Amino acid sequence: MEPVANYYNSGFHRKTYMLQRRTFTLAATALAASVYLPAWAQDNTLRVLVHSSFALPKPLLAQFEAESGVKLSLIKAGDAGEMLNKLILTRAQPIADMVFGLDNALVAKAQVAKVLEPLQYTQGSATAQIGANVVPVDYGFVNLNFDKAAFAKSGLALPKTLEDLTQPAYRNLLVVSNPATSSPGYAFLLATIAGMGEEKAFDWWTRMRGNGVKVVKGWTEAYYTEFSRNGGTRPLVVSYASSPAAEVFYSKEKITTSPTGNLFLKGGVFRQVEGLALVAGGGQRDAAAKFIRFMRSGVVQEALQTTMWMYPIEAHTPMADVMQHATEPTTFDSLPAETIADKGTGWVVRWTQVVLK
Amino acid sequence: MRSRRWLLGLLPLLALAVLLVAPVLRLGAEGWWGELATHTPTSLWTLWTDRYLRWRVLWSMLQAAATCVAALLLGLPVAWVLARWEFVGRTLVLRLLMLPFVVPTLVAALGVLALWGPHGVFSGWLGWDLQDTPWLLLYGNLFFNLCVVVRAGVDALGHVSAQRVAAARTLGATPWRAFWRVEWPAILPWFASSLCLVFLYCFAGFGLALVLGGQRYATVEVEIYTLVAHELQLAPASLLALWMLLLTGAVAWGYALIEKRLATPTRVQPMARQRPSRPAHWLGVGAALAVLAFFCAAPLVAIVWRAGHAGWDTWALVTDAETLVALWNTLHFSAMALLLATVLGVLHALAAQSSVAMRTAAFLPFVVSPITVAFGLLLLYPQWTASLPLLLCAYAVLAYPFVAKSLAAALDSVPEHLPQAARSLGATPWRVFWRVTLPMVAPALRRGMAFAAATALGEFAVTLFLSRPEWATLTTLIYQRLGRPGAANGDAALVLACVLMALALAAFALIEGPRHAETHHA
Repeated sequence: MEPVANYYNSGFHRKTYMLQRRTFTLAATALAASVYLPAWAQDNTLRVLVHSSFALPKPLLAQFEAESGVKLSLIKAGDAGEMLNKLILTRAQPIADMVFGLDNALVAKAQVAKVLEPLQYTQGSATAQIGANVVPVDYGFVNLNFDKAAFAKSGLALPKTLEDLTQPAYRNLLVVSNPATSSPGYAFLLATIAGMGEEKAFDWWTRMRGNGVKVVKGWTEAYYTEFSRNGGTRPLVVSYASSPAAEVFYSKEKITTSPTGNLFLKGGVFRQVEGLALVAGGGQRDAAAKFIRFMRSGVVQEALQTTMWMYPIEAHTPMADVMQHATEPTTFDSLPAETIADKGTGWVVRWTQVVLK
Repeated sequence: MRSRRWLLGLLPLLALAVLLVAPVLRLGAEGWWGELATHTPTSLWTLWTDRYLRWRVLWSMLQAAATCVAALLLGLPVAWVLARWEFVGRTLVLRLLMLPFVVPTLVAALGVLALWGPHGVFSGWLGWDLQDTPWLLLYGNLFFNLCVVVRAGVDALGHVSAQRVAAARTLGATPWRAFWRVEWPAILPWFASSLCLVFLYCFAGFGLALVLGGQRYATVEVEIYTLVAHELQLAPASLLALWMLLLTGAVAWGYALIEKRLATPTRVQPMARQRPSRPAHWLGVGAALAVLAFFCAAPLVAIVWRAGHAGWDTWALVTDAETLVALWNTLHFSAMALLLATVLGVLHALAAQSSVAMRTAAFLPFVVSPITVAFGLLLLYPQWTASLPLLLCAYAVLAYPFVAKSLAAALDSVPEHLPQAARSLGATPWRVFWRVTLPMVAPALRRGMAFAAATALGEFAVTLFLSRPEWATLTTLIYQRLGRPGAANGDAALVLACVLMALALAAFALIEGPRHAETHHA
């Protein structure tokens, strides 16, 4: 009993204690007052589900809201694959009116799950398509990037084919992201299957496992912890054709050539076309039409090049200067969307078996 | 009063039921019997019959157990030094200790690699490259978890009776013997509690192992994440989640049992801290600080150092409108989540006084697979998923066990006669709690709140739930930056991480207050 009495009976302590408690109570009340109810979907609110890479300049979005009278409510739902699964999970009570970011690798799965509503739109001068229910907005390429400095230092020749990568000289040089947890990883797996055929592709992956391919969870892990440009040891990484341009854009000093380059190898390039679609059961169809027109408008098509690092779908869109560092591949192999929907999951399971287990 | 105490637990139990249990059950039901029922496992034992999955579980256990052993061996002496000796900067050290908790996993990985990676400081000097070795993983685990053990240890040692140690010494016990026979039994429950947390974190953990070790070191939680988020195979995922729950739940239950049994309600005179006077004392203090510097501070220093070299252009980002909004969001959300977590935690701790089941339940947010919760919430309350209150409630539920556990342990040591005396003098139960019990457990409450705040400020669940661009927090910004190529983005992420750490330090100082450090001062 004694120590407690000693300890807490001093008037000074009690006073500060009371004071602190009062401050705490006050702060608590103030904070509690700041809890607001969720912004209920108002008449003019368009809920758009987007993947985590969605980015457009704020003023542009504000301008759209002002001119169209539509209130935008963007909802980020993670990686594109994750986003589609969230959409499928909530199809009984849709969480959005529109979805942006479904690509040609996912769209068939979305059709099968019946989460999209058919829509009519004028093609415009789109350079690529993604099936009936999705309005294409932009496209990009998943391919290998290489670290120029690392290759210059080692004196190793750049690989000419994917087959080269299975040679001892290229041992432990490549890092890929897991197709089971990453969109670019999945796209790269599809590229190998599209380019080599299923059996040959898995044979290649088997030999790559033997030659020390490293698998990490996602693009960020691959690029920032394993890629030799950023603190890892591997000079080859699965990334995007636009990444060398982004390296120039986000460089610390002004540079005129990119520190990384693209490798467009046969079987190592996948074109992703992504777009906007109506969510089945959602509302706001007029606003949705306005948003589609906005996303296909010249300003957005120009802006998205350096915010989302994709290529504009509208032909004749002026290219951003920095995109000269993001050369487009001349050839690439594709797979029918239906085939991807049909076999994609099985391929990932087989890939896991071949490369990880 | 005691008989109706469990009523206090209704609110936290309701929160657990609504925000954790119901979503997980709903997701499982969808997987087994709903429209999305695909890949239903034919056997309930797949986790143990599949060689790959079995290895994942065993590996998870092994690395978690190894981390616990290492954390105890390193943490106990360090905690002892911090609890018994008084030196300049001691309070700051205690606060700095919690920073690893705040740092996003990826940034921590960058810090660790800056030291031990192929281009790292140590690999340059010593020729060691630990990338791809289990040592790096163990180091990473200690970086995140040593603080849990040390903080609990310092608190525990503050509850050792000075008189009993003095008595033992007077009766001729050596300092060692006094430690083993008097101090160790008294602090055991606290250490058991913290080690249990460390085990759960490493076992069910998601982050660092995967970033540092690649897929080879993936834990079962990664497997569940893949099945749920990317393959929508809910049945096998829920089965895995259930097994994990059984395994981790067993640990939690075992711990709750031990804690209850070891609880000794005594109010003691804590031992006074001494100023080191002999070289041996200074050596001890130096060694403890060196351990902390090596395991906890070094990666943080590497981050700060690299951020320091980022140049003014990057630092100018701090005053960017986007960063300021994120800063405000981080503060606002964390404060709200902390407030809710404190209420839930206090109620839970009070209700858990006499119930092992309630004690075990406090572990639930740590052991339930987060991804199943996130997707279950989506399935159960689609109309609420993009709303801030639900997000904050989810944050609070995931963070409140820190408050509950810390407070429960402290309440165990409150002697019954003090509240009873106050009651007999006519005080209402509420008044007794406010004027008698609370002041006695305040330091533990503050410690728990600091940990809860750290989790809320950090990346906790930030990537799991639906979010809105206007809700971007500092952690979200960091991940956005690391989602794009380019040196400036990498630097910006490090700078933002520094801002986050500074914010966290300020928050800890505010929560723990200047008095906490002085409570046991001689």
